[in-house]
Amino acid sequence: MCFLRSEGLVLEAQVIEQTEFADAAAKARGACESESDADSILKALLADEEGRVADAIAFAEVLVPMLAKRLSALVPAPRVSAASVTAREKKPGHDENRGIADFIDDMLAQERTGTG
Amino acid sequence: MTTASAEKQTNSAAPQPAAVPFAPPARTTAPSKSNILLIGLDLGTNKSCVLAGPPGSTDITVSKVVPSVVGYVKDGIVDGIITGNAKILYGEDALSQMLHVELVAPLDEGIISRPEAARDFMLHIRQLADPSGRADIRAVVGVPANAGEQARENIRRSVQGIFSRILMIPEPFLAALGYRDDSRVKQSGYVDPVVNSLFIDIGGGTSDLCLVQGYFPTRDDQISIPFAGDAIDELLFDELNRTYPNNGLSRITVREIKEANSYVGPSRKPLDVKVVIGGKSRTLELGDSVGNACNTLIDKIYPALTTLIASASSDSVVTLLQNLIITGGGSQIKGIDTVLQKRLTDDGYENPKVRLAGQDFQRYVAIGALKAARAARENQWQVLLN
Repeated sequence: MCFLRSEGLVLEAQVIEQTEFADAAAKARGACESESDADSILKALLADEEGRVADAIAFAEVLVPMLAKRLSALVPAPRVSAASVTAREKKPGHDENRGIADFIDDMLAQERTGTG
Repeated sequence: MTTASAEKQTNSAAPQPAAVPFAPPARTTAPSKSNILLIGLDLGTNKSCVLAGPPGSTDITVSKVVPSVVGYVKDGIVDGIITGNAKILYGEDALSQMLHVELVAPLDEGIISRPEAARDFMLHIRQLADPSGRADIRAVVGVPANAGEQARENIRRSVQGIFSRILMIPEPFLAALGYRDDSRVKQSGYVDPVVNSLFIDIGGGTSDLCLVQGYFPTRDDQISIPFAGDAIDELLFDELNRTYPNNGLSRITVREIKEANSYVGPSRKPLDVKVVIGGKSRTLELGDSVGNACNTLIDKIYPALTTLIASASSDSVVTLLQNLIITGGGSQIKGIDTVLQKRLTDDGYENPKVRLAGQDFQRYVAIGALKAARAARENQWQVLLN
């Protein structure tokens, strides 16, 4: 209920309040010595839960970006990225007529462009 | 490249070389094709391989594997002790006279670290290739995968005035060229290693991996790991000192032990090795020591191997997995092919086949370099100014 309210889902929170929570609250009142005691306990319980939900949301808002950053550092970059696929497509590939001098041309071209 | 041998000079003040025993002649006329000599050079941390031959031919006039070490004769050595009373020795000559010389290794982890010694070594290489001293020499030199500009500049400076032209090409690609059987390239059923393979060149200073798929490998297709034969030697040396304190074994001896007994995979025990310590023969059990040191190499290579496999296109990777080739001195480690293959299989790779380059493992880079030298066009060479 508290979480739904914090997310602005008021109607959904009301549904729970009027069904499951109402049933549980009725049973809890039956166990208390007085109505006022039961009200105080329920009020305190709801206040605690609202506080816990607020803390959890704040914690998640801080933690999730950190976790995302760490996870992306741990997971290796995809070996076949679009850039590498494009780069590999640009490579001359095997041509039976290519000789050693052609390979040397490739090497010298790489040295000139700093990609070798 | 494998090994044998040099205690690296730790004194940073290297002895200055005495008179250079061989100096290339000054060129007075434009070089004619007749006096051009091509060299394919695998400049290894521990061993270098030089092949030489004329252009326009498949003849190989010189083929030598030389320990990459220069020995500067110490002061006060009595005449006649050193052959020809030479002031500088190279390769095996230097090692055989190690008591009378300061040994200097020109390279460390595959790149030049002692420029003066590197230059002397290159003069020696030139003399090996061209005893007459009259040839105009053009050299293709193998460099570690992704060697930086400073490493390349050091090579250029070391050969200035010695070679007239140079081309530097990454070693694993040269290994693929060298390994290729040119007579079978057009045969059906022959898998050209230059078309779709992954070479693992395990030398003394570096282990270089290279994806070779019909185009010149880019930086992303190559990985160079500064862990290879020398690093295994250091691990074994430290382990022996822990297991057998004060054993007195030199790094040279430890390297020899490694070369004779190296293996990867499950522990092989007992591995009894006979050594001489303090003049007395002893038998040391080295199964775990050798295995642990060598298995570290697998842990270094495997992630790089899977990284490159992952970068291959989906159309090519199944064939690629059939052409994983280990060369260099590390290919002599027993079981290295089966261990890597099993690890790939256990990790779910589709029918991988890892094989060893074979008995010419020391020469493939130089063979590829000489092929490249023969194929290079005139405008591809880098001219070195005197």
